[in-house]
Amino acid sequence: MRLQLRRAPRRRDLVLVLLAGAATAVPARAGEHDHVTVRGAYYREASTRVVQPVVEVGKDLPYGFDLTATYLLDAITSASVAAGTTADSIFTELRNEVGLRAGWTPRWGRLTLAYRYSAESDYWSHGVAASALWRLWGDTATVGVAAGASFDGAWPRTRTPNCPTAMQLICRMRSYFGGANYTQIWSETFITQLAAEIGYIDGFQASLYRAVPNLGYEVVPSTRLRGAVTPRAAYYVPRTQTGFQLQYRYYRDDWSIGAHMVEGRVYQTVARDFEIRASYRYYAQTPADFWCDWMARPDCYGPSATVYTADPKLQHVSTSMPELKVTWDAVRWRGVPIFGWVAEGTFEASYARLFQNTSFGDAHLLQLGYTLPY
Amino acid sequence: MRETRQNAPHGSARPLFRLSSAPRLAVVLLLAVLSGLAGCGHAPPAVGVTRRAYLSKRAMRFDADPLETRFRQHMFGSREAADGGYGEPGGGCGCN
Repeated sequence: MRLQLRRAPRRRDLVLVLLAGAATAVPARAGEHDHVTVRGAYYREASTRVVQPVVEVGKDLPYGFDLTATYLLDAITSASVAAGTTADSIFTELRNEVGLRAGWTPRWGRLTLAYRYSAESDYWSHGVAASALWRLWGDTATVGVAAGASFDGAWPRTRTPNCPTAMQLICRMRSYFGGANYTQIWSETFITQLAAEIGYIDGFQASLYRAVPNLGYEVVPSTRLRGAVTPRAAYYVPRTQTGFQLQYRYYRDDWSIGAHMVEGRVYQTVARDFEIRASYRYYAQTPADFWCDWMARPDCYGPSATVYTADPKLQHVSTSMPELKVTWDAVRWRGVPIFGWVAEGTFEASYARLFQNTSFGDAHLLQLGYTLPY
Repeated sequence: MRETRQNAPHGSARPLFRLSSAPRLAVVLLLAVLSGLAGCGHAPPAVGVTRRAYLSKRAMRFDADPLETRFRQHMFGSREAADGGYGEPGGGCGCN
């Protein structure tokens, strides 16, 4: 979108309106959603590798409506012992996900409805969500609310599952979530946001394959209430063309897991069409109240235990992730015949190193993407 | 199901609230949002549409790349327990 608008400077006022809308999370008028994005992500840790290609197509429709369709494939080359399974499963696990989002952008804000379907060989999920957003205070603030639900089912390949309801062959899980956010523009270089979210999960929340020695497949509580608060701030220094973002997230649930996450980002424009983003994310959580380190103390779960888990992410977890990302608008290729329409798009590439204190081990994360407005 | 947890050893964390008081969490979150709204309830600074060029920068947009955000939610959701209530699908492969 930005490239199209650069080529039409007489539309500058319209550009500013559109981009200001994006800055306040209010998508702007016609043309904003017309895009094709192709992305790929590669995640690698000691015994798990994931390749995730994604395609997204967005299209503006008359009267302020728009549609966005997404297709995503997760190709997992191995489920891992590190994840708590009893043995590395040398298979290719595929997860297909399709999503469709419809939006309407009237003068006062925006409404969206979204549906998502995810399926793999032993798991499916239907998700629906709706959101509304209002512009306030002379278009210097927005208030948004969102709500949704997800309906999942899991069935194991090799065993009869321990579903919460006896005789069920498909273990079901329902989750509901809601959230609200407030975004305020304080000046032309300073913006803040406060977001809160709450979720409730009811049903089968364990892994189908993780097991605790002498006790069998893990059993975790069937309900979970969770909530989080996230303040964010962004500041831009025009003189050096440097932007800063800082966000903090506090999370709590009724499994006694409390978590803090803080992430800082620095954006530096290097040239008119080239930007570098350096970021650092730190996360720490307390363990679930029913977690015990059965690998270090094999008898820590007594024989009468009815809730037990081998899930590494329910212990004390701390992770940190430095990341470097470059974004390049391919405007310099304009006029070069062999590149043609490719020069109208934006390329991005990022590399991150994820350090984890759990048995998953450290990981590499590489992402590549290209977005073409049309 | 909850009361059966007494059969399992507890971790080092001491719960800040129990299930019976879980609605407090909703109240706390609601108060947090309302306090944020209250703090912003004054007349805001005028930032006209012609002065918003900087606000259009990626650095000033909290969701400049939704697909990247979604991938990160899914990735951290399989490695951390605080992935939130985004309705992320789980997985039978051990990702759950």
